[in-house]
Amino acid sequence: MDISPNEAEEALEAIQIMTQKTRHSIASSGAHISLIITGIVWMIGFLATQFLQGVIVFYIWVGASVLGAALGFMLNIRNNKRMRSPTAGATAKRIGAIWVLLAVYCLAALAVTWPLDGMQLTVLIILFVLVGWLVMGLLLSIISIWPGLIIIALVLIGYFFLPDYFYLWLAILGGGGMIALGLYIRFRW
Amino acid sequence: MAELNETIHQSVRLRVMAALVSLQPGDEVDFSYLRDLLDVTDGNLGAHLRKLEDAGYIQLNKTFVERKPRTFISATSEGRRVFQEHVEALESIIKSK
Repeated sequence: MDISPNEAEEALEAIQIMTQKTRHSIASSGAHISLIITGIVWMIGFLATQFLQGVIVFYIWVGASVLGAALGFMLNIRNNKRMRSPTAGATAKRIGAIWVLLAVYCLAALAVTWPLDGMQLTVLIILFVLVGWLVMGLLLSIISIWPGLIIIALVLIGYFFLPDYFYLWLAILGGGGMIALGLYIRFRW
Repeated sequence: MAELNETIHQSVRLRVMAALVSLQPGDEVDFSYLRDLLDVTDGNLGAHLRKLEDAGYIQLNKTFVERKPRTFISATSEGRRVFQEHVEALESIIKSK
């Protein structure tokens, strides 16, 4: 079989594109679902926190979080059925252990620093979740570290420089940013 | 010197092998995942997969998930080896330009 150097170049380019597409697809699998759902929960929850008062805010947060977690779990399970790996079980256990340890560490840190006001509590919980995100990025997909770092920066900017509009800031830039990023990963990446 | 492989060189089969070889050894992908990734029809993909399977380059694992038939596909070690040889052959053609 003989082919020209141009044909060889085209074939290598096709291989490179396909390899990159597959790696991106695997690395982002499910990430867009989690991002969009978390973004919607943030948007609803933080808008409620900014504009409403009283126990209704608590119920809105709990309702949105429970619905979001259930929906994310179902969609991710469906999505993950498209690939099987002999090492997936062990990796899933390690990831689960990381989140459990991080949750324990978060609770311990909150207990030590208590009492906190609403903004401090919000920022600390978000920072712990985002540390988990960064660890997941280091383990599974380096590129997904960047959105995590951007969200951390946005949260800190809002906390230190825009305390009066902090929750609105988180709803629009944090929640909206996550939704936009999730849609970008789903349709353009 | 590495040689070109006619079975692999066809455009869809080349992309199928590139996708499967970029997975970790032992990892399998669902038929519909591969179809969406390659943007081809079910019939087209099925025909090319049969050729690669007959050559021993890929393995089709037919199973049931929640009572629905599913086909998972992975590259065999022979498939990985010949794909690597094919890539080396392509690179040597470009170098000899």
